[in-house]
Amino acid sequence: MATRGPPGARPGMGNRFAQFKLVLLGESAVGKSSIVLRFVKDQFDSYRESTIGAAFLTQTIALDENTTVKFEIWDTAGQERYKSLAPMYYRNANCAVVVYDITQAASLDKAKSWVKELQRQANENIIIALAGNKLDLVQEQPDKRAIQTADAQAYAKEAGLLFFETSAKTAENVQNLFTEIAKKLPLDQVGPRHARPGQRPGVSLAPEGANTQVGGPCAC
Amino acid sequence: MAMGSIGDTLWDVVICGTGLQQSLLALSLSRSSKNILHIDPNDYYGGAEAAFSLQETESWVDRLATEDKGLFRSASITKPDVAGLSFPRAYSLALAPQLIHARSELLSQLVSSRAYRQVEFLAVGSFYIFKTPLDPEQQPSLVRIPSTREDVFSTTAISAKAKRGLMKFLKFVLDYDSPDQRDVWKYFADKSLMDFLQEHFKMDAELKTYIITLTLSLDGRISTEDGLFIIHRHLTSMGHFGPGFAALYPKWGGISEIAQVACRAGAVGGAVYMLGAGIKSMATAADEIELELTSGDKVKTKLLVRGDDSVGDEPIISRLVAVVGSPLKSLFEPTIEGAPTPCVAVVALPAGSLTTSGEANTYPVYVFAHSSGTGECPNGQTSALTITTSDILIVLSSIKPFCIIHNMLGAKANWKSIGVIYLSTMATSNSKEILSRALESFLSAVDHNQVPQCLYQLYYEQAAGVKQSRLDGLTLDLPGPSLSLSMDDSLLQHVREAWKKVVGDTVDDAEYMVFTDREPVDDDDYE
Repeated sequence: MATRGPPGARPGMGNRFAQFKLVLLGESAVGKSSIVLRFVKDQFDSYRESTIGAAFLTQTIALDENTTVKFEIWDTAGQERYKSLAPMYYRNANCAVVVYDITQAASLDKAKSWVKELQRQANENIIIALAGNKLDLVQEQPDKRAIQTADAQAYAKEAGLLFFETSAKTAENVQNLFTEIAKKLPLDQVGPRHARPGQRPGVSLAPEGANTQVGGPCAC
Repeated sequence: MAMGSIGDTLWDVVICGTGLQQSLLALSLSRSSKNILHIDPNDYYGGAEAAFSLQETESWVDRLATEDKGLFRSASITKPDVAGLSFPRAYSLALAPQLIHARSELLSQLVSSRAYRQVEFLAVGSFYIFKTPLDPEQQPSLVRIPSTREDVFSTTAISAKAKRGLMKFLKFVLDYDSPDQRDVWKYFADKSLMDFLQEHFKMDAELKTYIITLTLSLDGRISTEDGLFIIHRHLTSMGHFGPGFAALYPKWGGISEIAQVACRAGAVGGAVYMLGAGIKSMATAADEIELELTSGDKVKTKLLVRGDDSVGDEPIISRLVAVVGSPLKSLFEPTIEGAPTPCVAVVALPAGSLTTSGEANTYPVYVFAHSSGTGECPNGQTSALTITTSDILIVLSSIKPFCIIHNMLGAKANWKSIGVIYLSTMATSNSKEILSRALESFLSAVDHNQVPQCLYQLYYEQAAGVKQSRLDGLTLDLPGPSLSLSMDDSLLQHVREAWKKVVGDTVDDAEYMVFTDREPVDDDDYE
């Protein structure tokens, strides 16, 4: 943070650290929050209640020895009826995960309409991933599958999306999904984590960063 | 709120409008157990403090031409016939590009409510004065205003005598509200600060202009009491959040971003959001109001909080927003070691410094120059900008030449827009001309050799709203948005009163906007 002194001999000096805003969209009950819970806390809860409004979580992953990516995740409520919340979340978002349920045919249609909206309204360079969730269900009972992998895959390819079938319950492909998104993000535009303070524009308001410079115009 | 139709719930409060005040109200209520419906007749967030892409700007201007939009009028867009604009969504033009002083109560509330974690704050750098040369053969220049004691010591822009006067004044302001010093300015409290500076500090015209610029007074006639308060805030803000800057600007559109962050907090807390839903009609009963929304829904609420967008008796301001094809680099250099790179610079063109059709400007023009670091326009330094003949030859010899060239052209490979300039002045019969003239003069003062090109201009006028909130039965109208060029903390008190009205007397005032993080946070991540 800008007001702290140089970090000294901390490990990670000169490493790349990038922070990206990610938004989850999709129909109600397809497992958006469960995917986030698996990714962030490595937990699963079969009886999770519907998200109200939205939730915010963060998770950091190491892409390689020198590169750390932090996701700021906005998990939106699928039950949201007025289509008024999502624009607030995908504004300035760097990436989006659009989720559908592979056992519910209609959920892919809803996902497609989200993809359309993102491509029309969000940041031009947004990375979008399509996630077909509840893979565990069809592994137990193959006849539950309502959307063929090949069909969704073909759509994703045509629309220029990353594509995964995931299971928040078994964790299959969840980590993978976020790692592949991270790999596609413009990491080269991000400076080293501990660049010289004078070169970065950001200002920290964190209370512990604010108390060293208090005073009049001569405080420095 | 529970599932089901919004008509089935008796709402504790319906908030109409998503401008700064209404959004802060949503934030303040985001941890209460109140049922909140937050609506906005617009299909965008932010109301009078919104930030627009170029498409949104166009539809806003079109709508202003056909329907009454309250405080805004006379909007028009000018697009010179030059290439250089990027895609429309790459821009975020702020209707209210206010600075926020480090000592603003708004920042304290954003910190205590933890909402600040969602906002990226940038440093506002130096304040400059536009100077017309005495010799008309010479070019105009920008002179940095020395606003700290170190600055005053080191500046070469003013005489030794002026330095002593300025130093004496800065020392006075730091202590201006003490009983002793109050006696010094009490007589001038409602009179012009200009007069006080003249009478008490014997300042020359130039020095007075420096001081008035620090107040960002639109008519240049700020009262001594208000002026001293603002300069005191400026001086004590300097260094508060880090060396070398007194004010902050939220990335991605300033106050607009704060309003959205506050609404997101409201949504996380369970408020229901509806855009494109205004109030069509209302019927008030003893203890509830029935509202018919423009969306067709009917809802019942115990309290309605709206923003008042009727025109008040204060004057009107003219604004010009310009996208320019230059990074204006010289304006965004940190002035002291260890300071963050500023993304905003403030330039005042004093009264009398511009001439249009033989007439000098009566009021100062304030220019806020924003670098691409604000996220309000793209950074022009992309690989697309450096395409040379040899690159094109390589492209031509690659496998799919047509496709690649097509993409390059489609993406307007030659775009270079890298700065957004906001100009504000008091509206007069020729203020539109004055702002155009001010923009030209400013750009040529930044770089006489290669005057930056203007790629897009939005002009509009904004009237001041009413200044007081008004409670009428179960309806509370918040005051209109502030025209001030820096955050006006007096608005916050009205939000607080609205909060009190919703939560009632059982909640302690000390709990206002004081929340814990919803998620455990590792502060180290916020470096």
